[in-house]
Amino acid sequence: MSRMSMSAILFRSLIHRRARCLSALIALTVSAAVATALLTLYADLDSKLHREFRSFGANIVITAADTSKGLPADALTQVHAAAGADAQAAEFAYAVATTDRGTPVVVAGTDFDAVKKLNSSWQADAWPAGSEAANAALLGQRAAQFVADEHNVQLTFSGHPITLHGVGRLHTGGDEDSRIYLPLAALTAWTGAAPSVIEVQVPGDARKIEATIARLQQVMPSTKVEPVRQLVEGESRIVDKTHALMYGAVLLIALTVAVSVLATLSASVLERRRDFALMKALGGSQTTLMLLFLLEALTLALGGVVAGYVLGSAAALAISQLNFHTATLPRLGVLPLVLLLNLVIATLASFFPVRVLRGLEPAALLKGE
Amino acid sequence: MFFRLLMESFRRQRRRKALAGLAILLGTTAVTAMLALATTIGDHIHQELAAYGANIVVYPAADQLEVKVGGVDVKPVSGGAYLKESDLAKLRGIFWANNITGVSPELPLHLTGKTSAGADVDANATGLWFDHSLSNGGGPALKTGSVAMHPWWKIDGRWPAEKATSADSTEAVVGTSLASHLNLKAGDSIQTAGRTLHITGIVSTGDTTDQQVLLPLNAAQQIAGIPDAIRRVEISARTKPEDSFARKDPDSLSPKMREIWYCRPYANSIAYQIREVIPGARAEQVRRVEQSEGNVLKRISGLMWFISAAALLAAGFAVSAAMATAILERQAEIGLMRSLGASKGAVALLFYTEAGLLALFAGGLGYLAGSGLAAWLGARIFTESGPVQIGTLLIPVLFPVVIALALGVAIAGSTPAIRRALTSDPSAILRASA
Repeated sequence: MSRMSMSAILFRSLIHRRARCLSALIALTVSAAVATALLTLYADLDSKLHREFRSFGANIVITAADTSKGLPADALTQVHAAAGADAQAAEFAYAVATTDRGTPVVVAGTDFDAVKKLNSSWQADAWPAGSEAANAALLGQRAAQFVADEHNVQLTFSGHPITLHGVGRLHTGGDEDSRIYLPLAALTAWTGAAPSVIEVQVPGDARKIEATIARLQQVMPSTKVEPVRQLVEGESRIVDKTHALMYGAVLLIALTVAVSVLATLSASVLERRRDFALMKALGGSQTTLMLLFLLEALTLALGGVVAGYVLGSAAALAISQLNFHTATLPRLGVLPLVLLLNLVIATLASFFPVRVLRGLEPAALLKGE
Repeated sequence: MFFRLLMESFRRQRRRKALAGLAILLGTTAVTAMLALATTIGDHIHQELAAYGANIVVYPAADQLEVKVGGVDVKPVSGGAYLKESDLAKLRGIFWANNITGVSPELPLHLTGKTSAGADVDANATGLWFDHSLSNGGGPALKTGSVAMHPWWKIDGRWPAEKATSADSTEAVVGTSLASHLNLKAGDSIQTAGRTLHITGIVSTGDTTDQQVLLPLNAAQQIAGIPDAIRRVEISARTKPEDSFARKDPDSLSPKMREIWYCRPYANSIAYQIREVIPGARAEQVRRVEQSEGNVLKRISGLMWFISAAALLAAGFAVSAAMATAILERQAEIGLMRSLGASKGAVALLFYTEAGLLALFAGGLGYLAGSGLAAWLGARIFTESGPVQIGTLLIPVLFPVVIALALGVAIAGSTPAIRRALTSDPSAILRASA
């Protein structure tokens, strides 16, 4: 049989048995689409999950190694430079002042915009903004009970009084509830306290955080850079477990689809016992016939990969948009794996029944056993 | 005759039935496993999220303002208000008692004394439950304490036992920084306030607790001379993520709406119920933990539902393709039956019954296999959940759902093929295959 007539047989076989080929093509498209969607999501899962963990707030805390000296003046700039663009950082200065009711209270100076970005779980009645921000104050919900007038907060620090404009209460359920927050510049002008703590939030797994800590420690040797242990450990554990779960799911679904496609394709080959017998009787060799079946299946598999990749990428995009509210763009990197998967299924599907057929006698088959 | 046809079809066409059956079996296995994982993932992830610590904290409403910077008390409060340890048993009786998975009361105190080597000890200490069973008399006790609530605490040695506390001796553990400062190790002892603290281990926590001595709560109360007192309670509760309804003030709602608010496991309503049973207490949700947990939980379980949907779609396509194949192969049979005088309805009924029986049988097996697989995967991935129990292994609600899906997909998948076989001319079919 020449090469030419082989492609003609292949072409005609695909055209004339349209319904049968369509069902095999659909099966292979579904398998490619599901594999593409799951692999695309899987590849992007870690960064997506780490983004969700941002709401836990800072996972690295930088303090001065020598508490009497405080942090270097340009510490925050150095942190931003060393920790990378996707890190959030805010600096804090603390002092203990007295309220107008004579209760000692911790006052903290900071940059409200940075804090708001760093701690998305904090609930404030209102965040200070714009022109009023210069002497605005945010009162922790417990601290607010020890202040006479929540809008004109009168505080004293070693004889120096200050009046702050309270914009609202802050609810966190932590130590912050017992503090009063005000802009860093106002606190420094009033008490002379300089920033003593920088809280940094670096998205990523434990290894990335370790690396960031090492880098920060290197550029600022006079400080103590420490991870918030429960956050770093907990986050890695949950991301790892979700990752493992997703891996199990991908394998399970891939197996289901693969075996079902295998069933559909091998049924389609077995159905053509008569063609097989006829070709063999007309002098076709075993190899040629197997090659024919194989080429047919591979052509379908290739078609399935093209359609499935497009559909699967669209599904991954839709799922991540709906679930994580950020897009997952199609990844060309998953294409080889999807292609490999589909080709393996198609090859198995055509070899499996051919092995069964090999033992059969053409004469018996044609007589219609 | 109908039943004979049905029986013979299953008896003689075993290979074809096996193919379609295998497709249904695998499809239902995957769908059952994914749905079972999606419905239980909440509990698993909650257990993992316990690593972040308590999501509700309870303290005396009349407490003075804490003056803490970086976890260090700048001006330690003297006196102040306390809650009663004995009131904590009431937590087992609130509406959402079963959602409370951890309770850890604390009593801070100051210790002065000498180590066995003669070094002066001047350190903060905290009285805690390490492994306590909390019970209000009825029902099983909740085994809880600070160790379970702080999985990131690492101990070199063993945790103190509260039973070992007597009038003149107590077991205790020491934080790493304090231990290296005082040169203490497990087996040493500290003499303080007329009693001996036997050090059973060195604990590393990664925060200011590393500079403290941790001892059983009953010993701390005796040393401080305030029986039954606790300063603060950390509670870990399984909650429903906050929505706009959760943020409403229950006292401003109508009685009916208040009832609904009260009976939903929001952190706010659990905190409200805690305030009701513990007099003089204030319960707050720890927003950093609570809000983020809800968020993470929502995303992960959302992802699992989407994957289940993908599994469902894949299984649906696979099953209907296999069913269609099984029927297309039997066109000759249909032609023969038709030419022998079988009505279209009778033929369709035969094929649908076959599909239905296959779906019931393979679907049932798939349900069992899928449940087993989900339990195995869950146990492999979330090792903390303990041994698998038969009661939790099978989720009965899923059974009708999975069977209905299998039936629906098998019948829907057969329909186009049956219709095509029935609309074509019997003689043409018979001639083509002759």
